Amino acid sequence: MKFEIKDASFGYKKGKSLYENVNFSVESGEMVSILGPNGAGKTTLLRASMGLLKWTHGMSTLDGENISDFEPSRLWSKLAYVPQNNHRGGSYTVLQSVLLGMTNQIGMFSTPKAKDIELAEQTLDRLHILHLRDRKCNEISGGELQMTRIARSLVSHAGIIVLDEPESNLDFKNQMIVLDTLTKLSSEGIGILFNTHYPEHALRRSAKSILIDHGKVLFGPTPKIITEENIESAFGVKAYIGQFETDNNMIANVIPVALTDHEDQKNTGKEDCDVLATLSIICSKYEESERINSILHDFNDILFGRMGMPHRKRDLYLISVNLDGSAERIRMLAHQLSLIPNVSCKVTYAKEEL
Amino acid sequence: MMATKNDSWKIGYILLLIALPVLALLFSLCVGRYIVSVPDVFRAVLSRFSDGFEVSKLSYITIWNVRLPRILLAFVVGSALSCAGLLFQSLFQNPLATPDTLGVAGGSSFGAVLSILLGFSLIPMQLVSFGFGCLAVFLTILAAKGKDQAMNTIVLSGIIMGSLFSALVSLVKFTADQEQQLPSITYWLMGSLQSATYSSLLIGVIPIALSLTVLFLLRWRLNLLLLSEEESCSSGVNMPRLRMIAILCATIATASSISMCGQVGWVGLIVPHMCRMVFGNDHRHLIPACISFGGTFLIIVDTLARSMTAAELPISILTAIIGAPFFIFLMRKKGGWSL
Repeated sequence: MKFEIKDASFGYKKGKSLYENVNFSVESGEMVSILGPNGAGKTTLLRASMGLLKWTHGMSTLDGENISDFEPSRLWSKLAYVPQNNHRGGSYTVLQSVLLGMTNQIGMFSTPKAKDIELAEQTLDRLHILHLRDRKCNEISGGELQMTRIARSLVSHAGIIVLDEPESNLDFKNQMIVLDTLTKLSSEGIGILFNTHYPEHALRRSAKSILIDHGKVLFGPTPKIITEENIESAFGVKAYIGQFETDNNMIANVIPVALTDHEDQKNTGKEDCDVLATLSIICSKYEESERINSILHDFNDILFGRMGMPHRKRDLYLISVNLDGSAERIRMLAHQLSLIPNVSCKVTYAKEEL
Repeated sequence: MMATKNDSWKIGYILLLIALPVLALLFSLCVGRYIVSVPDVFRAVLSRFSDGFEVSKLSYITIWNVRLPRILLAFVVGSALSCAGLLFQSLFQNPLATPDTLGVAGGSSFGAVLSILLGFSLIPMQLVSFGFGCLAVFLTILAAKGKDQAMNTIVLSGIIMGSLFSALVSLVKFTADQEQQLPSITYWLMGSLQSATYSSLLIGVIPIALSLTVLFLLRWRLNLLLLSEEESCSSGVNMPRLRMIAILCATIATASSISMCGQVGWVGLIVPHMCRMVFGNDHRHLIPACISFGGTFLIIVDTLARSMTAAELPISILTAIIGAPFFIFLMRKKGGWSL
């Protein structure tokens, strides 16, 4: 399934656009994040994309069909929306709340049947919250509530799930649970589009990102969108994107340092020159190594001296390749590999040649 | 294990909902200024269908012509007002909403007092009252229809329409004949089930039964009313249409009730709250519960109203006096509830 926004514009007032020429897409199995400062219109962008607000120009399509031609019941069987975490939803129990997500499939004058309840319970189990089944939504924690709402969006069998700041107001652990769940769902073939306040969540979770920068909506591979220059321009904050090394991986991190002084000269950015590097990858499953192979295949132009099959040792697969290409392209390859769960991967760059 | 526990709970719940009104009916048939014993009640009821039962003429008339229509009226009105109140609370996500939030009561009252002023008999008066109740809500929705149909705008225009019609009621009172019309207007406005007859019941019950049936069938979907706008919208259900159906049903039920017996306060506010405290917010249980509890509550209150003192008490006084302590008891025990 492909959810695509084409040449769209939106404005609350006539003649005054919030943004123009919005183009982006989310496909099955992809995870796309939207970033932008407060008031840039992140929620508005989501709402307009789903037809809850009308584009002043352009359109949203699902598999090529304009969604404004869809009956609401058909649209919302393909698309699910998890709005911001601020409504406790009538103190229903978790099970009732999840069942409400299926109302579309339950007849107009009917009530949920045993098979519907079974599906809801399976979904709760899939998200590891079956024990909350009979708890009331206003008595569970924020993280548990968010998982309940994700369960509700899942029972409609939607192919694309849109979430508005799913990890806001949650602690470290619950943020991790929510984001891991979204990553898992996308690896199971669901397309995920979500708003976030955390550039590092976009860097670590999504291959493609959207950045709203003063009315411009940028869309592309995350390492091209989440750059120090773009963050400074959109948020007005000088930030460094660094690599944090753990035992397994290099993890991208964004560290804000100071508000941008407008007098300051803008950072012109690093020059993008060719470098030599070596990339080593360790994974534990054969399917993962296949996925890694297909990503490496896309970057064939910067690979050289490739070994044949991955080495298998003690049930682990070890892959190492040599790279010669632009620093940006190498960063993009490393980023895509780092999005695969349970895979260790690091790049070692050659010392700069003088 | 889980399933059997659920099933027995369900059977108990259904039995309770049926048993309560039946017991109330029996109690109310016996009690009054003329006490009829339980065996006599059964004999009187059965004697209508077969000749084998002997019962005094007085008991027969009391049961069949006086008490039964009145009890049926109490049950129907109690159910209708409770369901309407429940629905308006959910629609506006406001625990203070009552059946006349949208101005139905004002409209129906105006229709009734206008009919008294013009000297209409009971049945035309009932029809005019019903018509004006529906007109008031129609005007409310018309007034609120703007660019964005926010629920608060509808509530506000309902309040405005309600006060407009109560001003019109005052105008009618002002012009009415003080000797005869004014007392009967005042008495009617206080609400009484005394005038219950089978023919007026028939006219009022049909619209109430229809609207309660629709609500009962929609009971699962009504749960969406308590979600936020965005959440309910993304369920794929046509929410504006669902809301309109709900408003329509609640209005018809309320207008019919008021046209039959005037304004009965409190029932539409406290019975839904009591049901929520006991059954939670799931309308699958709340709609049947409101029909059963609301009906039972009004039967009991009306029985007390007509039998406690020599002169009959206006029913709205008793609904408050009996309802308030019971409500406080439940609220303290259950710790209230949240929408």
